[in-house]
Amino acid sequence: MKTKLLTLAAGLMTATALATVPAKADVKIGLIGGVSGPIAAMAPAMIDAAQLAVQQVNEQGGIGDGEKLVGVVGDSACNPQGGTDAATKAVNIEGVAGIVGPHCSGAVLAAAGSVTIPAGVTLVTPSGTSPEITNLEDNDSVFRTVPSDDYQGRALARTLKDMGYGKVAVAYLNNDYGTGLANAFKTEYVDALGGEITQFAAHEEGKASYRSNLAELAKGGADTLVIFDYGDGTGLTILRQALENGFFEKFVGGDGMKSDAVINELGAENLANFVSSSPVGEKSDSLDIFNEAFKGVGGDPDAIFANTSYDAAFLLALALEKTGGKKEGVGAALREVSNGEGEAIRPGEWQKAKELIAAGTAIDYKGAAGDHNFDAKGDVPGTFALFEVGADGFEVVSEMN
Amino acid sequence: MDLFELLNFYVIPGIVLGSIYALGAVGITLIFAILRYAHLAHGDLATLGAFIALAVVTTLGVSPLAALPVAIIATAAVAVGIDKVFYDHLRERPKIVTVMASLGIALMIRAVVQVVWGVDTETYSRGIVRPENYFGLRIRDREIYTVIAMLALVGVLHVFLTQSKWGKAMRAMSDNPNLALLSGIDNRKVIILTWVIAGGLCAASGFFLGLNTELKSMMGWHMLLPMFAAAILGGVGRVEGAVLGGLIVGIAEELSVLVIPSEYKAAMAFAILLFMLLVRPTGLLKGKVL
Amino acid sequence: MEFLGLVNYALFMAIFIAIYALLALGLNIQWGFAGLFNAGIAGFFAVGAYTSAILTTEAVDGRIGGFDLHFVIGWIGAMIAAALVAWPIGKICLRFRSDYLAIASIGIAEIIRLVIKSEPALTNGARGIPGIPRPMSDIGYMESQVAYLIIVLAVLIAAYVLVERQFNAPWGRMMRAIRDNEDAAKAMGKDVEFRRLEAFIFGAALMGLGGALFAHFNRSITPEAIDPMVATFLVWIMLILGGSGNNRGAILGAAVVWIIWSVSEIATDRLPHEYAIQAKYIRLFLIGLMLQLVLRFRPEGLLPEPLRGDQRSAKGGADH
Repeated sequence: MKTKLLTLAAGLMTATALATVPAKADVKIGLIGGVSGPIAAMAPAMIDAAQLAVQQVNEQGGIGDGEKLVGVVGDSACNPQGGTDAATKAVNIEGVAGIVGPHCSGAVLAAAGSVTIPAGVTLVTPSGTSPEITNLEDNDSVFRTVPSDDYQGRALARTLKDMGYGKVAVAYLNNDYGTGLANAFKTEYVDALGGEITQFAAHEEGKASYRSNLAELAKGGADTLVIFDYGDGTGLTILRQALENGFFEKFVGGDGMKSDAVINELGAENLANFVSSSPVGEKSDSLDIFNEAFKGVGGDPDAIFANTSYDAAFLLALALEKTGGKKEGVGAALREVSNGEGEAIRPGEWQKAKELIAAGTAIDYKGAAGDHNFDAKGDVPGTFALFEVGADGFEVVSEMN
Repeated sequence: MDLFELLNFYVIPGIVLGSIYALGAVGITLIFAILRYAHLAHGDLATLGAFIALAVVTTLGVSPLAALPVAIIATAAVAVGIDKVFYDHLRERPKIVTVMASLGIALMIRAVVQVVWGVDTETYSRGIVRPENYFGLRIRDREIYTVIAMLALVGVLHVFLTQSKWGKAMRAMSDNPNLALLSGIDNRKVIILTWVIAGGLCAASGFFLGLNTELKSMMGWHMLLPMFAAAILGGVGRVEGAVLGGLIVGIAEELSVLVIPSEYKAAMAFAILLFMLLVRPTGLLKGKVL
Repeated sequence: MEFLGLVNYALFMAIFIAIYALLALGLNIQWGFAGLFNAGIAGFFAVGAYTSAILTTEAVDGRIGGFDLHFVIGWIGAMIAAALVAWPIGKICLRFRSDYLAIASIGIAEIIRLVIKSEPALTNGARGIPGIPRPMSDIGYMESQVAYLIIVLAVLIAAYVLVERQFNAPWGRMMRAIRDNEDAAKAMGKDVEFRRLEAFIFGAALMGLGGALFAHFNRSITPEAIDPMVATFLVWIMLILGGSGNNRGAILGAAVVWIIWSVSEIATDRLPHEYAIQAKYIRLFLIGLMLQLVLRFRPEGLLPEPLRGDQRSAKGGADH
């Protein structure tokens, strides 16, 4: 049996080796995400959005001399073990020139530390929001199209203060997303702006009842509950139980709460006092263009992080166009195609971008989720908007500063 | 905080949650007593029951409560099937091997649910349901159904165990399997009966959890530790003990937020478990120590 | 795919296999030799990883640390910390019968995970600890993998030799005696409780070391790594398949299971994504099924427990 197993393993590897001999001169990028695991409900839309970018690239001329761009999917399972494994396979077996993902910050840190930084492959994460990613010693190879939690938390705090919200209670999911947002929010709202947070409590996911948590949060008399959690998961349970039991009158969510599941399960009629923030492009029609295109291929543009995923893939493609499909120099190229000077390129305008790059003209990508002017560390400051629930899904209420 | 707040937001949710735990704990305690091992796939069996009910609701369009009997029967059948195909062959081996196998079965059941129903969160019905006000107590209909169903199912089980021939056979096997065999009881039939009951109760447990909150593929696994805590708290082999244990664990979990940081709520059940094992392993109602 | 890519992938797999082999070796001490069902491997893995991280990283506001010690000290610290955590747990839980120990250990891993996530002053909470130094990381990609692999293999071989020697020594015979017939061993005057605790602690120390090696390889450690699936269940399958009671079996099991786990993903990732997700979960189903088949048809695993001198007459050892 031992020899049989070893032969099986050897056979699998050979088959894989043979199967992965690429078609002539494809340019590959890795699409690594939490396909299985805790964010499995969110990952498919994100990967689809990235594939939309790939599809548009190929429809409008491909990379360089018409080479096909291929998005190779990998599963990080949202943990470091899976993240490094997927990244290693992408870099070494598929030979990708860049990676969109991983989705979870822990997987990003691990994949970068063990694979992409040593191997010199650029990584753009569309949803890794941990501030720890900023500090990676990465030779300029780790970027993100989503602002660090620090930004969004503080922007939300400023916006709420401006809109006249008074005492608030904060409930956050006990993971890096929730804690990051909550702490940034608190620092800005209380320390910088003098606001009042009556209760500030973490919760674990997956419990049946959060009524006792809500009762604790309601002590102190705040009329607004700020929820930093996922609308596809525990955030939904908390919002539901708060509405059903009459806790709080107004609700505010981070971008994780801006999810269809909330509208579908709770009903728009019950969400009149619910707003949530989300990263958006700056005063441009980029977001609308993306929404239309994504709806056109059957995707849901409101899906969380769909716009950041699209931007990450499209940006990577633009950078690869500049480097001629090679992985070296992608980091520098990313900055060049996106840093504020040059002809504006919107989502889907691949052909125009190709022509401009070939002519040596500078371009500046204006993405669906923001302008993506990367700072020295590869972070983006991000612009946000506040959304409410309208007749047809989420609608913008106001920009956030 | 006044009395009504305490009741409405801590005690009542605790009782509802406790009833859900109790349904699972009864099954666990029966399996402990009759088959003499810890069934680690119990939680995921509850998940399966909940999702089977969901399938009935979505395909036939009936109300969730009408789907419950179907789910109970189906899950009971699955439980018996799992026993026949997997656990039966390990009967001659040390029990710990079956425990290990049940860990694998838990994974398999969960994977089936994820393949068939996907990984999105589901519910039996859309929209929110505000609780009714009964003299200041805020209770939703479904919460009443949960507690009544639990009491009814356990009541029926109690009558069965004490009055009927097969019930007595089960208790005999729980006390002394060899003697039971000698007195003519067909152990295999008793085992099948045990799985039917355990599977059915699992389905009810998962169903009511889904009814009161949402259905997620990990819902059963997250209940496993509280269900075991409840069974051991009440005393292994004592059905009333499992019910009592379930209610205590449920209420304790909800009350714990008053004293410990809310992120540690999940640790409450485990703390109870550990405490019982150290201080009084026979449980509150003096069950067995296996 | 170039040859270099394949080499790098193989090196990566070898490093992971070696780390998992350490975990399986630790589990073998607890289960294979002392009959203790530890379902909380992830907890000790985490304790080791975080301890080493805290000891070897620079100072950060609001968190203990800043010791900035050499990684070897970090690794030794990891083992000590895991052992220290295992000691009270063992003292409390080992007297329970094995399925109670299983449940208790599941709970303990859960508590450890909660504490790690919720105490930023200790572990930076849910954000994890990045910036962990990795030996020989400044040289090229393949070269640094080779260097790390050599280090990890050295650790693994040292652990293996140590454990093997213990098992062939009177200590090993005594452990097997306790496992197979506790009452007789007690009658012979053996301090069963203490011996069990010893085995539990040694096993935990190895698991902590595995955690530390993992954290230094990735140069970061975050709470999602404490996942029951990849950190506990996978190790169990490795040991059962490889052969519990056999140290070489533990290592072989780690290799076989990890290769299947990682390589099968290459195939499933290529499917169109509706099927890709389902394929992932079918893969989980098959792993669970594999466990059932091994337990039923070949419970001793690929490499059965070797009949040592004292067991020539009875083959009782492998069947437990």
